[in-house]
Amino acid sequence: MMRNPILLKEFRQRMRTVRAPMVVTGYVASMAVLTFLLLYENVQGQLYLIQPSRSEQVFFVLSLLQMLVVAFLTPAFSAGSMSGERERRTLAVLLTTPLSPFSILFGKVLASSALQCLLLMASLPLYSLVFLFGGAVPQEVVAVLLFQLFTIFIVATISVMWSTIALRSGWSTVLSYATVSFMILVTGTVGLGLQSLAKNPVDGFAASWGHTLLSLNPLWVEAALENAVHGGTLPWVTFALFYVIIALILTPFCLWRLRPQWLRRIPGATRMNERNYQ
Amino acid sequence: MIFTQHLTKKYGRVTAVDRLNLSIREGTVFGMVGENGAGKTTTLSMLSTLSTPTSGHAVINGYDVVKNPSAVRHSIGFMPDSFGVYDDLSVDEYLEFYADCYGVDKRVIATRRSDLLERVGLSDKRSTYVNALSRGMQQRLEIARCLMHDPPVLILDEPSSGLDPRSRMDMRGVLRGLREAGKTVIISSHILHELAEIADEIGILRRGKVAAVAAVQVMLQHSSSQRTLWLESRSDPSLVESVLAADGHVTSMEFRDGGVEFVYMGTYEGQSELLAALVAAGVKLTQLTERATDIEALFLRLTSEVGGSSHDA
Ligand SMILES: Nc1ncnc2c1ncn2[C@@H]1O[C@H](COP(=O)(O)OP(=O)(O)O)[C@@H](O)[C@H]1O
Ligand SMILES: [Mg+2]
Repeated sequence: MMRNPILLKEFRQRMRTVRAPMVVTGYVASMAVLTFLLLYENVQGQLYLIQPSRSEQVFFVLSLLQMLVVAFLTPAFSAGSMSGERERRTLAVLLTTPLSPFSILFGKVLASSALQCLLLMASLPLYSLVFLFGGAVPQEVVAVLLFQLFTIFIVATISVMWSTIALRSGWSTVLSYATVSFMILVTGTVGLGLQSLAKNPVDGFAASWGHTLLSLNPLWVEAALENAVHGGTLPWVTFALFYVIIALILTPFCLWRLRPQWLRRIPGATRMNERNYQ
Repeated sequence: MIFTQHLTKKYGRVTAVDRLNLSIREGTVFGMVGENGAGKTTTLSMLSTLSTPTSGHAVINGYDVVKNPSAVRHSIGFMPDSFGVYDDLSVDEYLEFYADCYGVDKRVIATRRSDLLERVGLSDKRSTYVNALSRGMQQRLEIARCLMHDPPVLILDEPSSGLDPRSRMDMRGVLRGLREAGKTVIISSHILHELAEIADEIGILRRGKVAAVAAVQVMLQHSSSQRTLWLESRSDPSLVESVLAADGHVTSMEFRDGGVEFVYMGTYEGQSELLAALVAAGVKLTQLTERATDIEALFLRLTSEVGGSSHDA
């Protein structure tokens, strides 16, 4: 993985900026303050009032908030990755090297997820505070963390793909944020709406659609992993399948941008590659 | 080494490159000259596997650009006409990145990098960020970048465009070095005389077709055996005319601005004999100078004499 030249280059470019340490420091500091406030509010300054169940709520709130932050942060790091190469006019040369489009995209995805993963890791010690007060189960914390990393990876992948397909960074930013908004806001509100509709008359249709939509929502899946909502045995499977399929659907379009000659056997594709996208 | 046959690229109704035939031998520096829109960039982007020919073939280093693009990519170093740089990397990191893309061995990278930076005159800039380099330096850095994986073929699209005269000269020096390094180079420009100084062979591209190909050596011989001279004297022009007309090497004469411009086809000894004849006839010379040859006109005269080119297979 570290042999991917794109990854090394991107680390050099990204981590050297002032932005990187500022984001990490700012994030960890605000998470620490928030954890402290939540825990303090929980015990009202009196340690004998500690209740494991309320401490579990602290973990719940913190982890959902983290998910929300990293999910909305990710497009900021990935939506400009390929369109940026194109705008800098470095893409053409990159495409004449033996690097395959897949390793270019993979390098970009990893590079643009790295900082958010670092944020999650850096705020792990805060969870130990929560452990101190009881409540969260270690397996649950690990599951939540893995799921958060997976979500970052998915959002980064789709954003990098938008960035390859849309020719301009502006457009790919719009598309990437639209994707994250769909994942979190649309599935959340529509899914919950359908479920509340289904409550009154027994409406299996709305209920099952509501459930399907919700299982595409990273916040809801995470809540299910924390057993806060009922999400079935493996709540993340639908989520993973759906977004992997989305990525697979976008793949040929990315290849068409990067290596139009690969698609020349598809009728119509050659006519469309008459402009150069590099 | 580079060979194209009926290479054609159409953009909708526009035929950017029209049944182009080229054959460039190993170790040759081939200059491709043409005005803007002649199809140079389109040709070079097909050769560098970035775009697919509409029809025809191109073979580089024995590999077909359509059937075996990855082998072609390993064989070439490509510099596009409007390239960008990663300006937030240092010169060293920049070259290392591209070498990594080609999977060059780490130990080789270090020595090759110092070698190349030496050759393009950037040895003292190794830890400078690329954005602190001048345009001319960045363009030379690109040449070094093209050579990091030691490809046998270089494809350079207008490598000295947008440079000031001083940087152009530096660039010319670097490009001459490529021939000594035994690379096969195809290099485009819209300025003929610039290429004449670095190329072995020159082809003129016009509306997607090769209008003419000639060896620079032949051109230079012709230009030294055929000179345009300018003569001024205080004597009667008819006297001058009679002496010049008597010399069989003088092919054309034109009297204007108080002097005469004539084309002399012959050796320098012959030319001094003509000078002696002028003096003997009593011509009071005030000036006899050689006019700079218009290399473009010469080229076209030459290639129309030969009748197209030997390369149009
Ligand atoms: N992507 C493109 N789409 C449509 N026409 C193009 C494209 N690229 C080049 N052309 C046309 O092809 C011709 C050759 O262009 P080009 O190869 O860039 O010339 P040069 O590099 O010699 O200036 C021009 O007429 C240009 O308008
Ligand atoms: Mg051009």
